[in-house]
Amino acid sequence: MKSDLSVNITPSSIQLKRRNKWTKLIPYLFIAPWIIGFVVFTLGPLLFSFVISFFDWPIVGERKFIGFSNYITMFTDDPLFWHSLWVTVKFALFFVPINIILALLLAILLNQKVKGSSLFRTFFYVPSVISGVALAMIWGTVFDGEYGILNYLLSLIGIEGPNWLNSTSWALVAMVIASLWGQGTMMLIFLAGLKNIPQDLYEAAEIDGAGKIFQFFKITVPLLSPTILFNLIMTIIGAFQQLTLALVLTGGGPLQSTYFYAMYVYENAFKYFKMGYSSANAWIMFLIVLALTLLVFKSSSMWVYYENEVKNEK
Amino acid sequence: MKRKKSVRKSFVYGLLIALSLLFLLPFFWMVMTSLKGPEELSQFPPKLFPSEWHFENFAKAWNSQPFNLFLINSLIVTALTTIGQIVSSTLVAYGFARFKFKGRDSLFIILLATMMIPWEVTMIPQYMEFNLFGWINTLKALIIPSWFGSAFYIFLLRQFIMSIPKELDEAARIDGANVFQIYYKIYLPLVWPVIVLIAVFNILGSWNDYLGPLIFLNDQSKYTLTLGLAQFKGVHDVNTSGIMAVTFLISIVPLVIFFLAQKKIVEGAQTTGLK
Amino acid sequence: MKKKNMWFSLILAVVVLVMSACSSNNASVDGKKDGKTVLRFATWDTGDTLKIQQDIAKAFEKENKDVKVQVEAYGDGFDQKIAASFGAKNPPDVMYMWDFTTYHQSLEPLDSFAQKDPDIKMDDFYEGLFNYSKVDDKLYGMPAGFSTMVVYYNKKLFDEYQISYPKEGWTWDEFREIAKKLTDKSKKQYGFAVSSEPDTYDLQGLVWSNGGSFISEDGKKIDGAMNSPETVEALQLYGDMVKDGIAVSTGGKNQQSASDIFKAGKLGMLINGIWPIQGYKDAKIDFGTAMTPSFGSKPVKGLIASSSISIAKDSKQKDLAWKFVKFFSSEQAIKMRTADLPVRKSVVEVTKVNEDPLYKPFYTMLEQATNTPAFLLNKNWNEVNRNLSAAINAAMLGQDAKPLLDKAVKESEKYIAK
Repeated sequence: MKSDLSVNITPSSIQLKRRNKWTKLIPYLFIAPWIIGFVVFTLGPLLFSFVISFFDWPIVGERKFIGFSNYITMFTDDPLFWHSLWVTVKFALFFVPINIILALLLAILLNQKVKGSSLFRTFFYVPSVISGVALAMIWGTVFDGEYGILNYLLSLIGIEGPNWLNSTSWALVAMVIASLWGQGTMMLIFLAGLKNIPQDLYEAAEIDGAGKIFQFFKITVPLLSPTILFNLIMTIIGAFQQLTLALVLTGGGPLQSTYFYAMYVYENAFKYFKMGYSSANAWIMFLIVLALTLLVFKSSSMWVYYENEVKNEK
Repeated sequence: MKRKKSVRKSFVYGLLIALSLLFLLPFFWMVMTSLKGPEELSQFPPKLFPSEWHFENFAKAWNSQPFNLFLINSLIVTALTTIGQIVSSTLVAYGFARFKFKGRDSLFIILLATMMIPWEVTMIPQYMEFNLFGWINTLKALIIPSWFGSAFYIFLLRQFIMSIPKELDEAARIDGANVFQIYYKIYLPLVWPVIVLIAVFNILGSWNDYLGPLIFLNDQSKYTLTLGLAQFKGVHDVNTSGIMAVTFLISIVPLVIFFLAQKKIVEGAQTTGLK
Repeated sequence: MKKKNMWFSLILAVVVLVMSACSSNNASVDGKKDGKTVLRFATWDTGDTLKIQQDIAKAFEKENKDVKVQVEAYGDGFDQKIAASFGAKNPPDVMYMWDFTTYHQSLEPLDSFAQKDPDIKMDDFYEGLFNYSKVDDKLYGMPAGFSTMVVYYNKKLFDEYQISYPKEGWTWDEFREIAKKLTDKSKKQYGFAVSSEPDTYDLQGLVWSNGGSFISEDGKKIDGAMNSPETVEALQLYGDMVKDGIAVSTGGKNQQSASDIFKAGKLGMLINGIWPIQGYKDAKIDFGTAMTPSFGSKPVKGLIASSSISIAKDSKQKDLAWKFVKFFSSEQAIKMRTADLPVRKSVVEVTKVNEDPLYKPFYTMLEQATNTPAFLLNKNWNEVNRNLSAAINAAMLGQDAKPLLDKAVKESEKYIAK
């Protein structure tokens, strides 16, 4: 694990070691705000939710210690646990790669030198600005099987669209489509990353007669890899925490075909008032996402290039 | 060669315009719905334009609640959280990206891990804690935590700082600059585009945050815009045109900020002379 | 210089903002504001209904000059907010409430308050309503408003197809005939709407009318109730109407609802409570209301959806809270609340709302509402309902109801036994 996260030792960090004790404290001073914030605002609630995962706590009533019962019930006696996990994995398998590729392609498109690029960038970002209920209501009118805009448009070209949100096979697809609409954040991060790539590299490649596709895979992708790593991890976390859209649009249905794991956690807490059980659910999700993230990090040494490391190898 | 280039150009434009239409459609639909009268709200086949333009819907929706007050609250929260996030997250990210110190990697994993626990299960203990501090029903509950950095922004900044060549601070160090000066004079300008980026994200996130205000605020005089917006959707009745009208009105601020900021995001790095 | 100015004004702005953010007085912390006692009152209502409640609060403040009623409107987020504040032991003093089986442990029993206060005139309320706010024979809420379920029908469509308006005593067979005549798929027009994710609560009127139920009357058995032939037949009726294409299947949550389609003039009939009535009028739909149809000669059963207001157990000013609750259920306040039906008989006698043809069926259905809803009969109903919902949702999407309900019974037995 260690080597993946750490920057190779460079002259400056060696220098640091030689200095006095005060210098040793400097890095901690820089990260102090986060450490304080973590201890004061996050650690307590986190530990609380961990402890409560061993309790039966109906929120509005008394707490009762029940050991590992919540965890045992979850794995052995709750088909919804496995079901919601499976729905989430299915969603993530589609959503994560499509979202990353789409956001990257859009960023590259916006990175072209064209007139009015400011406007296009704003247009592409507009869906990310609309929030909450309004967005859900818009998707409701778009996807409605009988009276929806999408099926109306499809019918104009002679296609009979499915009853999107009322069909166990299409509802999840609709979810993926709706989620992709909000790719603006990832797109912007890619855009900032693209702008960070020195133009002279492309110019040099151009002179060497390298084609666009060659440039993309040999210059853009490697130099963008720290950003790709970031977006990949955030998209995975995001896919597992996907809640709002399901909550406000389908309510997990039809027949729980869009019943995401995050929704399972939410409903156990605020619909069935089983806060202890819900905390146990959340900690299992935590372990899964953490494992995935560490896996991605572990693999990252093979495909993520940080400028310093490249330079150091030379 | 030239002809090939112009074909490519028009292809790019065509794609940009087509995609823009696709991305603008929901927004457009929202604006049109907000202008319709109650008898036109649900119709089939769907009508793009209202037959009568009810511009008064905007004023009616805005005045149905003390939205001016909510606007002020939202502005305070958004401005203060954004400044706080920028100051703290850049410091922390610099610390993680540019120093080697004991426990760094474990701390960084903890930082990432904090993003993976859903807020639903830490919300109640956090409520109790804020209640102890006397922050419930004040904007402090929304503002103060943001002055201690957010994992998302720290991670993002760290990735960018790590891709900056280290030769730069070597040179500065030889010139006698201390670590804080290097952070302040060299790194901040270099990651300026990313700072603008997290400012945009935070403005939008804080502006549209619904759960935080819902849980921590009680009194209407403290409400933010999103809580005001929630007043249009009750258990039994939904004021569709009100929701659409207010959502449109409150999306103007982040859109304008985005429009002004996006140039900095894509051009900032070049003018500060990264290369 | 210019840059310095900018920094200066930025810092100034921050200082001003920080000061304004921190100077906000902590009303809920010490329970006082401008020298007045603050009473927190949480509601799920929005729009005009909320306006009325704010007016009631103001009227109460007029009578109690040293009190400020802080009306907290959470709309859709009500349950989450209330649950979180109960969990953190900082709930509102007074709040709207309906799900007493879930919340009663955190609520203050009101019996002793009511006994000490004879001028509240408990016998003036519709008696049945108290059943909805009692758990283990203790009263946890005062009735605030209620509705029954009736059939709304689009008069214009009925006229167009020359169908006579529904009359008291009509049957489901007649209902289906009418729905069939009103359906015209090419116009996307349907006779009836069935939600694919219905609230099981709303279906109880239908099930009871066929002599079925979701749970035995003593709340101890679901086998033979939830999967009885009568219950199955009633639910199958809805599923079949979707399958036959005479009812449109509508989605849950924020998707197009039956009300939306009704407002668009594409729906002949739907079943709903009193709440959307103003919306239908605003959409300029010419509509009427009728009692729900019967299964042949079996008696029609009504279903009450009621809301009450309650006092939190953790409230530090229960006497004041009771004073407000009492005011909220007084004739004066009930007259102000027009969005649902008045809970006091004396108010109905004055306003004569039960004689308005649009409102009359609601009162007819009230007379027939003698059954007790399932959630009041078993404290684990929420768990059972999870399985029941899954079964009913599948049935509404066209699957056979019988095996689904058998399965729901089997999976729920463990909760019933507890």
